[in-house]
Amino acid sequence: MTSTVDPVSLPQRTASNDTEIDREALARLLIEIARNVDPDYRARFEAVPTADPRMETLRQLLVSREISELSRVTHLLDEPEQLAAAVGDILPSAAARAPHAQLGEALAPAVERAVQRSIQKSPRTLTDILYPVFLPAIRKSIGEKIDQTFQSLNETLRHIFTWHGLKWRFEAWRTGASFSEVVLKHSLIYRVEHAFLINRNSGLLIAHVTADNATSEDPQLISSMLSAIQDFVKDSFNEKEQSGLDTIRFGDLRLWSEVGPFATLVSVIRGNPPEELHEIVRDVLLRIHEECSQALVEFDGDSSQLAGVEAQLQTCVEQKQEESNEGFPWLVAAVALLFLILAGGWFFLSWQSGQRWQAYVSRWQAYVSRLEAQPGIIVAEQQVRDGQFYVAGLRDPLAADPQSLLSGTQVDPARVHSQWQFYQSLELEFVLKRLTASLAPPDSVRLSIDNDRIVAEGEAPDTWIDRARAAAQQLSAGGPVFDISRVRDVSPEVLEAERWQAYVSRLGTQPGIIVAQQKIRDGQFYIAGLRDPLGADPQSLLSGTQVDPARVHSQWQFYQSLEPEFVLKRLTASLYPPDTVRLSIVNDRIVAEGEAPDTWIDRARAAARQLSAGGPEFDISKVRDVSPEARAAEHWQYYVSRLEAQPGIIVAQQTARGGHFYISGLRDPLAADPQALLSGTEVDPARVHSQWQFYQSLDPKFVVKRLTASLTPPKSVRLSIIQGRIVVVGEAPATWINRAQAAAEQLSADGVVLDVSQLRELDLAELNHLREAIQTTDIFFSSGKVVPGPEQTPVLDRLADQIKEFAQNARKSGVTARFMLTGHSDTTGRETANASISAARAETVRALLNKRGVAPELLLVRGAGTFEPAVPENSQTGSSTNRRVSVTVNLD
Amino acid sequence: MLQKKICMLGGFSVGKTSLVRRFVKSIFSETYLTTVGVKIDKKSVALPDKTVDLILWDLAGEDDIGSFRVSHVRGATGLVLVVDGTRAATLAAALTLRERVEAEFGAMPFVLLFNKSDLADRWVIPDSEINELRQRGWQIYLTSALSGEHVDDAFLQLASMVAK
Repeated sequence: MTSTVDPVSLPQRTASNDTEIDREALARLLIEIARNVDPDYRARFEAVPTADPRMETLRQLLVSREISELSRVTHLLDEPEQLAAAVGDILPSAAARAPHAQLGEALAPAVERAVQRSIQKSPRTLTDILYPVFLPAIRKSIGEKIDQTFQSLNETLRHIFTWHGLKWRFEAWRTGASFSEVVLKHSLIYRVEHAFLINRNSGLLIAHVTADNATSEDPQLISSMLSAIQDFVKDSFNEKEQSGLDTIRFGDLRLWSEVGPFATLVSVIRGNPPEELHEIVRDVLLRIHEECSQALVEFDGDSSQLAGVEAQLQTCVEQKQEESNEGFPWLVAAVALLFLILAGGWFFLSWQSGQRWQAYVSRWQAYVSRLEAQPGIIVAEQQVRDGQFYVAGLRDPLAADPQSLLSGTQVDPARVHSQWQFYQSLELEFVLKRLTASLAPPDSVRLSIDNDRIVAEGEAPDTWIDRARAAAQQLSAGGPVFDISRVRDVSPEVLEAERWQAYVSRLGTQPGIIVAQQKIRDGQFYIAGLRDPLGADPQSLLSGTQVDPARVHSQWQFYQSLEPEFVLKRLTASLYPPDTVRLSIVNDRIVAEGEAPDTWIDRARAAARQLSAGGPEFDISKVRDVSPEARAAEHWQYYVSRLEAQPGIIVAQQTARGGHFYISGLRDPLAADPQALLSGTEVDPARVHSQWQFYQSLDPKFVVKRLTASLTPPKSVRLSIIQGRIVVVGEAPATWINRAQAAAEQLSADGVVLDVSQLRELDLAELNHLREAIQTTDIFFSSGKVVPGPEQTPVLDRLADQIKEFAQNARKSGVTARFMLTGHSDTTGRETANASISAARAETVRALLNKRGVAPELLLVRGAGTFEPAVPENSQTGSSTNRRVSVTVNLD
Repeated sequence: MLQKKICMLGGFSVGKTSLVRRFVKSIFSETYLTTVGVKIDKKSVALPDKTVDLILWDLAGEDDIGSFRVSHVRGATGLVLVVDGTRAATLAAALTLRERVEAEFGAMPFVLLFNKSDLADRWVIPDSEINELRQRGWQIYLTSALSGEHVDDAFLQLASMVAK
């Protein structure tokens, strides 16, 4: 079997069509391959080709269609444009067939991102797209808001003539704003107290700002709870995801929730916020989203990334409208009110003239109801027929005329057909009218209606009272009661007695008058009692009472009333309060107020204590002491006058300036110390600036002082001032008398009289004897010795006794005795040595006498050396006689 | 200020509210639970480096899992699952609640509290079961609202988990 088919040509043979394998070619190929199974085949074809073309042909036959299909698809996938075209063809139907939930989930993120991107790129596009959706929603929202506004406006207009209404009218006129704007503005008193920025996803608080003084619980908890409540409402009423809970209102408090993509801004508002506040809050939320969008998206509970938003929230919280407390412009308001009334009247008239028939009928109805409301008119029936009005009923002749009631109703009288029957109304006012007509009460009687009764009050003669009583009995049953019990019978005697009683009760109410008894006898009036002289005169009170003074016999005892006004009068008279003090009566107490010197206050205090028990209290606690400056000046003046009264002080000038006091003048050194005089004057020594020049005052007192200091008069002498002269009286030693006389001569030149004529010389006879004994005593010394020998001891003892006795006696006579111990020496030796020996001898004797009890201050010592020898220095005895201490006595 | 929203989940009467009442700051009354279905409380937990305010959403416990408002869990970063140790059914309820939450919002850290540990004589959850749950790496605490045992530990643990 040989091959009839050239294998090489096989590949050129293609399938007869695309869908079917070329079965004939395949059969031939298989036969060909089968032939090659022949073992000889390899021998016949020396070189077997590496690639068997028949295999290629076989492949062509088997999968050529798939290959071409695959290459088409590959081509399709490799070319994006073609692929896009292909997917685009099937995408709508594919999306339509996909399960909705899955597709939605798959697309949601992409769509969200796409929308976000679109908004970031150009918000305009999305706005345009959403515009048809938003518009109806916005329109609905605005509609609701307008309704709400009108409602509140109506509420306000209802009170248009209230105070606020007028006030706002005026404000509208003044500011040029529309009235409704003003009304809204004032109705909306509010304050934003809190702003919460809350993460929409988790309900966590991002930021919280609170107004001053506003408090709340933990804002973190509140923000979460708000979210929870929003969820709750959403879940409970199947609300859509996007719509949040806009407003929560609780009494005066509102929560406005403004929902943004990532955060919700909840403002807590107290009061009545205006609609613009929504805009403000919305703007704040928008700005927060713009500025912090990334941080808001990524918010995971850490608010530190969003610290800046608090400043934004603060603008929310700063929103408020407080009630203003401006004063009300009365005058302008009155003008505005007048204008309003005129305008209203004009409006009413023009409105009425333009009404149609319907309005006309309603006017008729108004007329009928007006008739029905009219007392004494009973409308039995009324109707409107063919443009005519018919009314029928009963009327009291005294009632208003139905015809006249038509006027002003604008109902055409020509169209009105009335039929009225007269009847007597038992209504109170008609009975009253009829009684008034029939009884003709005198002017002193007044008829009135009081609780379904007709009451006659006043005064009338008994004849009229009888007629009235008859009329009361005749009043038909079912009618009102006619009460004439309050009409008084008036005869002249009754009148007079009444007038007297009026006078007496007038006296009784008079302060300071106590009526003890009063009576009327035989047309005469007697009255007795107590009256305060400061009270009103009972006689003068008679005027105007119509009581004849000639028939009044009064007997008044004076007394002191304890009524506050009388006490006040008496106090005013006795205390002479200065102009700065005002006395008044407050709650039965007499109160003094103002300023007064402390002396006056003291007097007032004393008066208050003396006020008799049972009388009013006198309160002086409100009287202030006059200003401290004035008092200080007063004290100063007192001090100055005290200085001026002081002998030996001459005040040359003094001023008070700037709270300080300046004084200058002369003062005797012996005068009182001006500084010491300050004590007790309450003048602050620190503020006193003094300048004193010393001088010798010729005032006898000072002269006496000076004399006492300079003359040191003995105790037996007394200096006294008699009629401006200084008189020296007593006994004194002659020496002192001599000195006193010298001083008298000196003083006479200054015009001061010193009278020494009454001085007597001291009688010193006894003393003179003793003096003689003392002065003749000498203490002797051995040559060159300063201590006397033992033989001198008795002499010293005697001398000491004599000196003590003399000193004592002299002291008794008011004279001080002093004893001069003079030491002497002989002429042997040098003069200087003798001088010192003589002094030493005197000192020794002084010591020895002192030792024997003689006061040392009485002993004076001197050394005479050789200059006062007792005897001439020419013999032995002379020398020994001269070595001595002699004694001389001096009297002061 | 670092805050985390935490939801407390558990069946009816497992003692969530009691846990909250004694150990956290609360300003809202428990009537919120029956009216709004949720009550918010706060627990401040001091971690070594910061303080975390756990804002606890105490969701009304209901045995009917179907009526559970999963929307309340949105935005939560952690859960407190509460089981009544004396009622085995509450464990299943808590686990179911967790599954529902995870299905809706993905996995989130949680602590599992077996409450009423003071009622040892009525305890029905076998230790083996608790150990088995611990094997899964869960943070489990036996707590008692009565004695306060382990309550603070549990909150501290959860705070450190969510604050990462």
